[in-house]
Amino acid sequence: MEIVTYVLLFVSLYFEVFLLLSFLERRRGVAIKKGPGAALLPSVAIVVPCFNEEDGVRSTLLSLLSLRYPSEKIEILLIDDGSTDRTVAVAQDLIAATPGAAERIKIFSKENGGKHTAMNFALERTETDLIGCLDADSVVDPHALSRIVQVLEDSAISAVTPGIHAKEPETWLQHMQHVEYRISIFNRFMLAALGSAFITPGPFSIFRTAVVRELGGWKYGHSTEDMELALRMQKHGHLIANAPSATVHTGIPRTFSGLFRQRVRWTYGFLKNAIDYRAMIFNRSYGNLGLLVLPLALFSIAAAIYFFCQMIFSAALSLMTTFTRIELTGTLPSPTLELFYINTSAMWILVIVSVALVLALIMAGSRIGTGSKRPPMGTPLFMLFYSFLVPLWLGAAVVRAIFNTGVRWR
Amino acid sequence: MEEAIVNSRAAKWSTYAVAFVITALIFGTAFAASVYFNGRRAAEIRTAQDSISIDILSLETQFDLLAEHSCRDISENSVLSKEIRPVGERLSFLEGQRNVDQDELLRLKRYYSLLQIKDLLLMQRVAQKCGLEPVFILYFYSNAGDCEDCEEQGYVLTALSEQYPQLRIYSFDYNLDLSALQTLIDVNDVQNSLPALIINDRVQYGLKTIGDIEKILPELATLKKAESKNATSTE
Repeated sequence: MEIVTYVLLFVSLYFEVFLLLSFLERRRGVAIKKGPGAALLPSVAIVVPCFNEEDGVRSTLLSLLSLRYPSEKIEILLIDDGSTDRTVAVAQDLIAATPGAAERIKIFSKENGGKHTAMNFALERTETDLIGCLDADSVVDPHALSRIVQVLEDSAISAVTPGIHAKEPETWLQHMQHVEYRISIFNRFMLAALGSAFITPGPFSIFRTAVVRELGGWKYGHSTEDMELALRMQKHGHLIANAPSATVHTGIPRTFSGLFRQRVRWTYGFLKNAIDYRAMIFNRSYGNLGLLVLPLALFSIAAAIYFFCQMIFSAALSLMTTFTRIELTGTLPSPTLELFYINTSAMWILVIVSVALVLALIMAGSRIGTGSKRPPMGTPLFMLFYSFLVPLWLGAAVVRAIFNTGVRWR
Repeated sequence: MEEAIVNSRAAKWSTYAVAFVITALIFGTAFAASVYFNGRRAAEIRTAQDSISIDILSLETQFDLLAEHSCRDISENSVLSKEIRPVGERLSFLEGQRNVDQDELLRLKRYYSLLQIKDLLLMQRVAQKCGLEPVFILYFYSNAGDCEDCEEQGYVLTALSEQYPQLRIYSFDYNLDLSALQTLIDVNDVQNSLPALIINDRVQYGLKTIGDIEKILPELATLKKAESKNATSTE
């Protein structure tokens, strides 16, 4: 048992060290291009797929209208995927109230078929050079598009992901996700640096339209079409860059049940897509992605579940011992604060090192995403509690994947 | 904020190797640190052991002097070194740790057991000469995995010693390779059916609760009960 724990800990630490080391080496191979003149800017279609998004669609559209990008070069396509609420009415009200919006926002309605069908619906109705998506719970920074387009000046790059931040965290759970998003900023940045991005997130990833068409458009991808498309792009040798300064703020679940449902969907989607694209795993021809990133992403799920089970087992054992002690003696053992009794086992030291490395990842993510190393205020909460929550949806997703149950968006 | 980034996915083996070396170094350092801290603990116990050695000498001297002094000069409770119980607790803790020099640990345990035996003998002599009725328990346990109830018995005795600070509990590892201890076991005819307690010269086998011990040892009632808890371990 102990050797298994050490092996899992070694591999987990190795991945953290590898990413941080790659971060320090990142200057090598960075693709930064000067932006073109306005006349040469590519045309862009931003798709806003909506299914019952009456609460968020207004701010999403407003942020798109505020993009600092020539208006004649942007098409905003709101695809109503069979909403039963006032999504379309809210969008129409906005268009009516905003001068110039009618020329820039096109609304289409279709039968509900899922996000991938909404994206393909838009793909069939646009002739722009680039196409991207902005989920209706997200808002973009006015400069986000121009920063992404700059990167796409490099013809070798087929897609660019943005820097995604949590939108207006309020509850303690949202503050913890806010911290997690900083780690995701780091991961997305580093995976792009390793040529191994395997997700092109819904909030404002921008693609070359021709590439998406050539690959056959969006697919269902087990409710994670953004992951499926990225893996398909990788399979066909396309480069996916990351522009962390292209800032997007996305809505995050307020409640645990919402978060749980979202993360089960993400993890389930990853597992099923990993099975679909299993030929890439441990395949040298896919470089870092095949050799390290995909295997370790799968491994980290197994490790998190294992550590959680072990922790529960140890806690149960300790609780049983305490109960036995109370039953036998009627008292609890007297606690001691003597230095002599401080836990200095190798395992404990390694756990502390792992926690320190996670803090380093949060700081690196903050630096990449905001320019400041200062971690968000929810960091202590995140460090204390989040690792107890994650295995819950990882475990649920694994079970669902094994039994092939499928997952729902909502 | 960082500029945009992308790179080919070609594996850079040197980064793989350097990351492996760094991770291995972190692991090596963690193990070395653990060994170091346990070494420091052993050194602390060694210091206490030196003190115990002096105590042994002092006990012997005290025993020699006893013949020429009145009982008033020898207080029963001053005989047992105050360092013995903490050393017992610390030894017990160190036994549960990994990355500990087992030879060193064994040496420390032997000294600890020897001191307890010496104290026991002296206490019996003092009691005989001065007409005292000492209240004590000898506890034999095993850490070899062949004693299911030893852990529980340890909890009971710890609680009992917290309840009655004047109660002397001498705990011995039944399997410890120490001739004096083996003699003690033989003299008292303690069988390898642990846990075993010697209370009022009778060997009791099996787990005994506080209630059981209070029945077997009614003299406990003559001891003062603790007002506040003092941590004591006999595991």
